[in-house]
Amino acid sequence: MRHDFYLAWRHLRHHRIRTLILVLCLSLIGALPLGLHRMLEAGEYWMTRRAEATPLLVGARGSSVDLTLGALYFSEAGVPTIRMQEADRVTATGWADGLPLYARHRVQGQPLVGVTLDYFDFRGLAPAQGELPAILGDCVLGAEAAEHLGLGPGDTLASSSENAFDLAGTYPLKLHVTGVLAKAHSPDDNAVFVDLHTAWVIEGLGHGHVDPQAAPTLTESPFGPVAARGADMGLLTYTEITPENLASFHFHGDPATYPISAVIALPHDTRAATLLRGRYLDEKSETEIVRPLDVTRSLLQNVFRVGALFDGILLLVGAIALFLVALVFSLSLRLRQREIETIYLLGCARLTVARLLFAEILLIGLFAAAVCAAVLAAAAPYASDLARHFILS
Amino acid sequence: MPILRVLSVVFTLLAASASGAGAIGESRLKIMASNYPLAYFAERLAGPWATVTLPVPVDVDPAYWQPDVKAVGTMQKADLILLNGADYEKWLVHVALPRLKRVDTSAGFRDRLIRIENAVVHSHGPAGQHSHEGIAFTTWLDFDQAAQQADAVAKALIARRPELKTAVLEALKALQAGLADLDGELKRITSARPGLPLLASHPVYQYLARRYGLNLKTVHWEPGEMPPATEWTGLDKTLAQHPAKTMLWEAQPSPAVSDKLSTKGVTSVVFDPCANRPASGDFLAIMKQNIENLKTPFQR
Ligand SMILES: [Zn+2]
Repeated sequence: MRHDFYLAWRHLRHHRIRTLILVLCLSLIGALPLGLHRMLEAGEYWMTRRAEATPLLVGARGSSVDLTLGALYFSEAGVPTIRMQEADRVTATGWADGLPLYARHRVQGQPLVGVTLDYFDFRGLAPAQGELPAILGDCVLGAEAAEHLGLGPGDTLASSSENAFDLAGTYPLKLHVTGVLAKAHSPDDNAVFVDLHTAWVIEGLGHGHVDPQAAPTLTESPFGPVAARGADMGLLTYTEITPENLASFHFHGDPATYPISAVIALPHDTRAATLLRGRYLDEKSETEIVRPLDVTRSLLQNVFRVGALFDGILLLVGAIALFLVALVFSLSLRLRQREIETIYLLGCARLTVARLLFAEILLIGLFAAAVCAAVLAAAAPYASDLARHFILS
Repeated sequence: MPILRVLSVVFTLLAASASGAGAIGESRLKIMASNYPLAYFAERLAGPWATVTLPVPVDVDPAYWQPDVKAVGTMQKADLILLNGADYEKWLVHVALPRLKRVDTSAGFRDRLIRIENAVVHSHGPAGQHSHEGIAFTTWLDFDQAAQQADAVAKALIARRPELKTAVLEALKALQAGLADLDGELKRITSARPGLPLLASHPVYQYLARRYGLNLKTVHWEPGEMPPATEWTGLDKTLAQHPAKTMLWEAQPSPAVSDKLSTKGVTSVVFDPCANRPASGDFLAIMKQNIENLKTPFQR
């Protein structure tokens, strides 16, 4: 037996190129479907985990897929906005806590996500460096966003209007990076987080005025209001929020009507969740409530359907490839006719030839399996990134 | 009632020694209050189970306070952030604070808040002219509203520490009884001479005037500053139609101002809104003194 493998090994070494091609072909045939499945599994795990952690989502009535992808994975697709009062509405029921979220803009390619501080508690995000945002104009970076932008605490980052949906509304604001979040292995790693109020300043809903001294806030005369002087006051708006001009920043209109993209609803228990979902049954209402897990599952089903199609194609291709390999072997047997004759003449049984061939095939198979495993192992760390890339964009 | 309070304190101490002193130290609620009345309510209601902090320096009026990064950091770490609401916390839009830990104690009577119209009008951008209307914020000078705010504080405490429910409700009863006493006393005093013309040095008494039916006209003077001549002529005009003999002040005015006022027959009376922690006494004591100060003009 040992001699069989020795002879087979010498033979394979002698025909290096042929062996290499065979090993590569076989390992690819194995690695492709396995890798695809690994990627789909990673994607499923990663998306399901995120969806499971987000019990309910309130957003504009319409595409629940867009809503979920926008609020959970900060996808680039634009979601119609809802009003801030929706978050109060959720909390006011007493059944759930409402976390408003505004993920509509991008800053230097990274999603700019407006949240309240509760979001960091909810997702278990803590700064690895620096602090969470404290003042208007502060931002905190996800681990990958920080790496990608090459920024850390103390740096500044200019928000630019990158939203195709309203070009007029936004104006650039210099954001102060207060911290970098620890890696969370979730879409949060890619985001630039600001307080909702900062997001609204970028949106143009809040602003500061030059020289607050020139615009005294109290212009009442002793016994009643004076006719206001308006036009002569400074109209310039700031592009950077500093401790000096912070106090002059203000918002117009009712903040309850300000835009957000979704409210993450955290019901206190199952019964509360059911009651809350009942609140959104009205078909005519402008908002809807979705279970991200349901949405994600139906989305994944589509992905798996495509995956199954891929599997079918790969099976066919694999079968053809195996036939080709068999062909290669049978052709090589014909070429080795003289060699086989010699083996018989040496007095070996017919079985010996078969054993030699078997040893050869086994060795090639083992090499291919090893290469296949190595390729899969090398690609494993990127599986979830690839999944994110292929499934979400 | 005092016996019950003593008993509850004794029980807490027993619980503390039983579970180890460290345990109660860690489980102490960290409460932030945006003004002294709320801090006082929280101290009365949460007693030994909480550390109540008023982040505003003692010499600053909390209504005009602007927190710095450090103060925001401390507030972010609190378990409960008590807000007066009614547009009191102008700094709220400038800072990042968890929403779920915030409690707007005046939300219960939001529809009864007094709007100040035409406060400041300015224009900018294509939107044109608009006004920044404000809301009168000294809500606690209506002691019935103060009791509702105390109620909101109690509800927030119980929501976070359900096991303290009985103790908190007991303390709330005592606190609200104290506030109801103030309310009754003030109503009794002011009803003696309804419509008595009064002046106020600062526009902070809107709720006091509404609740207790005060016939109040307001100037905008600071206790430490001599108002300019135009203000005095304005005052003369007002006095012609509104013959007030008393002016309410947030703090004792400078002798020069009070002397000049008395030449016009106007006596200065302190009614301290007590927005920040007083040097001595507590909220109820200060309010009792305020009511005492107000007695004289109504008894004349
Ligand atoms: Zn403005």
